[in-house]
Parts: sequence; C-alpha cells; structure tokens
Amino acid sequence: MDLKTVMEYEAMVKFNLPGSEREWIAEKASMLEESFNELSKVDTDGVEPLVSVLNFNSALREDVSVRLVSRDEILANSPDQYDGYFQVPRTIE
Amino acid sequence: MDREFFASRYETKTDNSFALDDNIMVRGGLTTAGSKMLQNFVSPLQATVVDRLLDAGMELAGKTKIDELAIPTVSEDIFATLSGAAGAVSEGLCRIALCNDVSGKNRRQAPAKGLYYIHPTYGTVSRFGLVPAVSSMDQLGVVCRDIDDGFNVLGIIAGHDEKDFTTFPEKSYSYAPKEGPFRIGIPVNVMEAADEESGNSVNEFAGRLGAEKFELKYFEVLPQVMYILSCAEIGNNTSRYDGIKFGYRTENYSGLNDLYTNTRTEGFRPDMKLATIIGAFVLSKKNYEAYYLKSMKIRRLLREHADELFSRFDAVVMPLRLKDPEPYRNMALYAFATLCGLPSVSIPFGSCGLQLIAQARNENILYGICKGAVKDGI
Repeated sequence: MDLKTVMEYEAMVKFNLPGSEREWIAEKASMLEESFNELSKVDTDGVEPLVSVLNFNSALREDVSVRLVSRDEILANSPDQYDGYFQVPRTIE
Repeated sequence: MDREFFASRYETKTDNSFALDDNIMVRGGLTTAGSKMLQNFVSPLQATVVDRLLDAGMELAGKTKIDELAIPTVSEDIFATLSGAAGAVSEGLCRIALCNDVSGKNRRQAPAKGLYYIHPTYGTVSRFGLVPAVSSMDQLGVVCRDIDDGFNVLGIIAGHDEKDFTTFPEKSYSYAPKEGPFRIGIPVNVMEAADEESGNSVNEFAGRLGAEKFELKYFEVLPQVMYILSCAEIGNNTSRYDGIKFGYRTENYSGLNDLYTNTRTEGFRPDMKLATIIGAFVLSKKNYEAYYLKSMKIRRLLREHADELFSRFDAVVMPLRLKDPEPYRNMALYAFATLCGLPSVSIPFGSCGLQLIAQARNENILYGICKGAVKDGI
C-alpha cells in the first residue's frame, strides 16, 4: 500500500497522520496485504459466509421503552454541551 | 506494584476481591480501556458481570491495565508487557480478574505466572458494560489461581442477560467437572510450528493423556482471517470516538471536520490507527470480496471443521507460543477458539503451559480434564 492510498483511507476514517506514522502504516499494510492474498489458496466455492457463531435466535424482550441512563448522565462526559444538547462547532457558514 | 498492574485501585477489606480489565464499566468510575481517547471517561453504566459479582459478596479491587481496547495487534511489544490482570492475580492483589481476551494475551501469559485462564463459549457471559472491540469475538473470561475458584466465579457471572441479546437463553450455569476418560487431540501441523519449550509442555501433557494426532485445517491462514475480521469490526466500533459525545477532544480545531480528524489522530495509538485503516481497506468495494467475504467463508469452514473434530475428540491441546515470535503469526494459536466461539482453558503445566479447547458449551469437559490433571499431579 503506497502513501497516497494510505492518505485516501485516512480521509475515510478521519485521521491525519504525521509523516512517520503514515510511513509505518504503509509498510505494515503492504506486508499485511501480501499476507491477505494467501487466502485465495483456500477453496470457498459454494460456502456461505459465517456472520455469527451463535446458532440460536436471539432472545427478544418486551417492546417497552426502557431508560438505562438519564440525559444528564449521558451529557456528563461530553466535552461541550449547551442547554441539554451536545454542542459542536459551527457547521454552516 | 499496584501502579504496575492497576489503572485505578479501590480499597478492599477482605481478600475476596476481583479485578476488572479497564474496559469493563463500573458506574461512577473511570473506564479508560487503555486509551487516551477514554482517559477521562466516567461510566454512567455498570457491567452486568460487576453487578453479579458484587451481589455474590465479592469486592472490587480495581481496574487492571490493558493494551488499547485490548485489540489484537501486529505490534512487536504486545506480548512483552505482562497483562495487568495476570500480574494482579499472581501478586495476590486480588482473588480473580475478568478480561476480554480477543488478542490471546491472557491465554498466553497466565500459565507462565502459575495461573489459569478460562475463556468461555461466546454467548455465555454478558458483554453489557464491556467497551466493544470485536463484537463477534469479545467474551469475558476469568484469570484465577485455582481452577475450582475460576469455574465458581464463571458460574456467578454466566447466564442470560436481558441487556445483551447475544447471551444464551439459560438464566444460570453451574459448572461441575466431567469425569474422564477423555479423548484428546493434538494438532501435528501446529506442533511443528511451536517453539521448543511450548511444544515440550504440550507433548508431555499429551503423552500422559494418550492424545491422538490430527491436522488443524486452515491453520496457515488463521492470522489473516482473524486480523481481517477483527479490523473490520474494530473500525466500526471505534467510529463512535469523535470528540463530541464523550472522551478525548483535541484543542486544535477550527471546524467540525478538524475536530473529528485531530481528535481521532491524537486520541489513538498507531496500532489502533493501523487496525482502523485496514478495516476500511478490507471493507472497501475493491477488496470486500477477496478479503472480508472470503474470511467469513473460511470462518464457516473452520467452524465445520471444529464440529467434525469434536465428534472425534472431547478436547484438543495446543501450544501457547510459536517459533516465529511475530505477534501476527501467533494470532493463529488463539484464533481457532476465538473465531469459532469455543471455550478454552490455559493451564500452568510444564515450563510454559498449554491451552485446551473444547466444543461450544462444553466447559465441564475442560473443567474435568483440569481437575484430573491436578489430581494426578500433572
């Protein structure tokens, strides 16, 4: 994976890596990509993907609204709040 | 010594105490998950496992240090540092500890400290209140000095939780060691790759129990499958860390995009950033089929292979270290149980220890093998 490709994925996942970290990631990702290509040696024709190891239908609960935490408790960890809402920088010029 | 293993410490009056990895929430306390991103996060919730242990009369000793979100990594130093949980239990700072061992670090390290690690079947123990890393693999297990104690604690924390719909329907579990004799399998291809000390421990154990040889299929691609599927889920689970709702926020921003980007860049370590980028890479349109979908298909083949193996054996025995010290390659040793949601126990045997893996929901077989081993002085 070259540096340009790393930067494309950075933008997707909202990172802006320092140069040395980007180079480290490019190096590791290239090694990993080469390793991932070994998967093609395994014959998976006609095999369904396994999404979950659980082989039962998940238990359902009553369709009743349950409040586990209060609004104040949720807001308590927010770096910036206003009048009961999360506050963010201006998004519209 | 406390500071070496604990992220935060509580006062306890008895030695009937438990420690929690610092990704398990306690209401009103810090839960940092080993990350700058959560350095100031005070949990408004409490994990179900904490409620159950407190209701059983145990006391909370503290929160043990973990690698960032306890994710599997390719970094050189993941196994160089002792897990906080193993350290705390081995030094007598608590009776038992709970961990999420997706990376295999506790399974690998507990035996070297004379400890057991019990990794239950996926779906046995509630994940409510656990900071998620790899949701289809996260499962809380027990680090303990005594195998009876470990299964006693597992019996306390296991059972259906209305707040975690991926738990089995059984409301409670009571573990008892199954009587032998047991049919044990030993994977020859894995043993060829094991380091000498680890291999010797397994071979001695297997010899005494009369293990039969078999080939563990797909072993050579388990690191890839494990890492691809982990990264895809890690990327998804960490998208919530944006500096808005909770956690670390950068001081360096002029607009919303800067806030997101700089918070996430500053808040995560390189291994987490690599995992997130690889997650986006394997889920991209260009790579989805070749990597992510392919890995899910191999996961099914592995699960079918496990079903076939456990029709022949009660348990399989595996080493804890490979000759190749690279953490990425060593993922293969823990991936079989983790990817298939199988129970395993790491036991202190020989100079290095070993792990035993059984079919899903057969913890009593593992318990029985361990009890027999202790009784026979193995």
